Amino acid sequence: MTQIQKAGLTRRSLLRTSALAAVGTLAAPSILRAQSSEIVIGCAGSHTAWMEQIVVPHMKEAIGADILFEGTKSSVNLEKMASNKDAPYLSVVQMDDPVMIQAVEADLLTPITPDAVPNMTDLRADAVHMDGMWCNYVQPWAGVAYNTDYAEGVPSWEALWAPENAGQVIIPSLQNTEGMWTMFVAAMLGSGKPFSEAQYEVDAAFAKLEELKPNLLSVYTTMSQAFNLLEQGEISMLAGNFSSYTLPRKAEGVPVDLAAPKEGIFAMPSGICLVKGGPNPELAQAYVNEMLGETMQAAIADFASSVPANTTVKAGAVIPDGVPIYSPDWAFVAENRRAWIERFDKLMAL
Amino acid sequence: MTARIDRIALLAVPGLAYLAVIYALPLLMLLAKSVQTAEGFSLAEYRAFFADEYNLRVLWRTLRVAALTTLLALAIAYPTAFVMSRAKGPWLTVFLVAMVLPMSLGVVVKAFAWSILFRANGFINTSLQWIGLTEKPVRMLFTETALVIGAANVFLPFMVLPIYAVVRQLDRGLPEAAVSLGAGPFFRFFNVTLPLTLPGVVAGSAFTFSMAISMYVIPSLIVGERQQTLSMLIARSFLYLRNEPLGSTISAVLLAIAIFVVVFSSWLARRLGART
Repeated sequence: MTQIQKAGLTRRSLLRTSALAAVGTLAAPSILRAQSSEIVIGCAGSHTAWMEQIVVPHMKEAIGADILFEGTKSSVNLEKMASNKDAPYLSVVQMDDPVMIQAVEADLLTPITPDAVPNMTDLRADAVHMDGMWCNYVQPWAGVAYNTDYAEGVPSWEALWAPENAGQVIIPSLQNTEGMWTMFVAAMLGSGKPFSEAQYEVDAAFAKLEELKPNLLSVYTTMSQAFNLLEQGEISMLAGNFSSYTLPRKAEGVPVDLAAPKEGIFAMPSGICLVKGGPNPELAQAYVNEMLGETMQAAIADFASSVPANTTVKAGAVIPDGVPIYSPDWAFVAENRRAWIERFDKLMAL
Repeated sequence: MTARIDRIALLAVPGLAYLAVIYALPLLMLLAKSVQTAEGFSLAEYRAFFADEYNLRVLWRTLRVAALTTLLALAIAYPTAFVMSRAKGPWLTVFLVAMVLPMSLGVVVKAFAWSILFRANGFINTSLQWIGLTEKPVRMLFTETALVIGAANVFLPFMVLPIYAVVRQLDRGLPEAAVSLGAGPFFRFFNVTLPLTLPGVVAGSAFTFSMAISMYVIPSLIVGERQQTLSMLIARSFLYLRNEPLGSTISAVLLAIAIFVVVFSSWLARRLGART
């Protein structure tokens, strides 16, 4: 105590300095954020490759933004937005349409307007939703990924149920948007109705899904792990996978391919939105504008084998010929998804 | 003297304040959410949780996996601790490093490594076929056995180190005295050595069980969504179902089990300590 007093440090000055230091430390993130060119983007874990290689360097050069991105599932992004509604830290989120509907209902989004984002006027009409609450930027297509060492193709979705494939199949959980494809296919096969009607035949879908259990090695929520098992030959088929993930791996020489079964394939609903009250709103709008512009659309569509939403862009995935492409009633999905997840988990449990 | 003790006790204030703000307060908020409804206080979420057969199956699986993990870790750790207690010089360093170093490796990495080993064409299946024990690959990935083996590996240091600490202090003269009085090896082990080392066993088991019952990453990677545990149900409730009352209720159930284990093991350790 004596030594402290000699150094000129009294109890009062120590407390005052500590209080100032604490206030400074707590205020630092807000001060830094206010002056920063940094924006945080929520996206899917499967976007990591093209976000790192294409989007981050382009955004630094085009709009001077330092991009931090958090790759996770759409429903987790929604939870992050809802939990931080009073003090959002995400500026832009890229997630799937059914979750966008929930985000709009929870008043978490701010509309994208042509004044702030001029490139949205070049989008296909069906790529702009709910008066600009979100837009689709690219659309991969989804079918059945398979290991080419063990199968020559997947001509029909019925192959998932074939007895010779016992223990050889992994499907996504309904917690993942791509999990819906297996459910809708089960509805079509189980009810015998066309997709437009079958998508509402929930009981038929679950009855058919139950028949799939002997063939399932697992149900995934982490797609990269399941895909790794496909690449290694532990399974022969991975249902509901999409062109933006399988086809780049195929191009790298991995023994996998994406089949477009005759019953139909699905359009992945990849959307982009502005977070209501998110930091750096002008930079966020500039980011969205770039994502919908020709350069980014062409680059991402080519890299991720996806269909661009910008009508001026001629690039990206070739959609398989002669196979119908379905896009479901997402409002119906959003309304029922929680109940379906609970029912699915109980049905598939061992 | 009293004033001096009080001043020293003040040193605990920052730590306690930190725990109160970072740990106790969020915990209380979480518990409050499990009994809060629009109408006021209610235990409806708890009644609904325990009325659902699926939840009871998950609860039973969680307890069973944690118990089996603890038993397997104990079976490996107990002899290991004795070998370590007799090791000297560089060998002791090797053992301690072997115990502590894996703890610096992320759980995700370890769980993923096990998922590679358990594959049909992984090291274990290839070895079994090479030895001639099996003709074709045995299904190991996505089984409860794989989960118990993987979890026991991850938590092993938490079982070994408490037992080692006790065994190291064991008076070696006591087993020798038992021998001089004509005690056989089994009698010596069950009546002398084991009772003296039980406090370490209890502490290690409490550590391992508490961690095994709340593990999330290891079951997610090794057994997947079809064999959910309580922790996986909690994540699902908050993140996917967005059902905070349900997530809070399951968290409270898990917390109650963990508290019971800690309190019971402390009581048992004190009782065994008093006896020995």
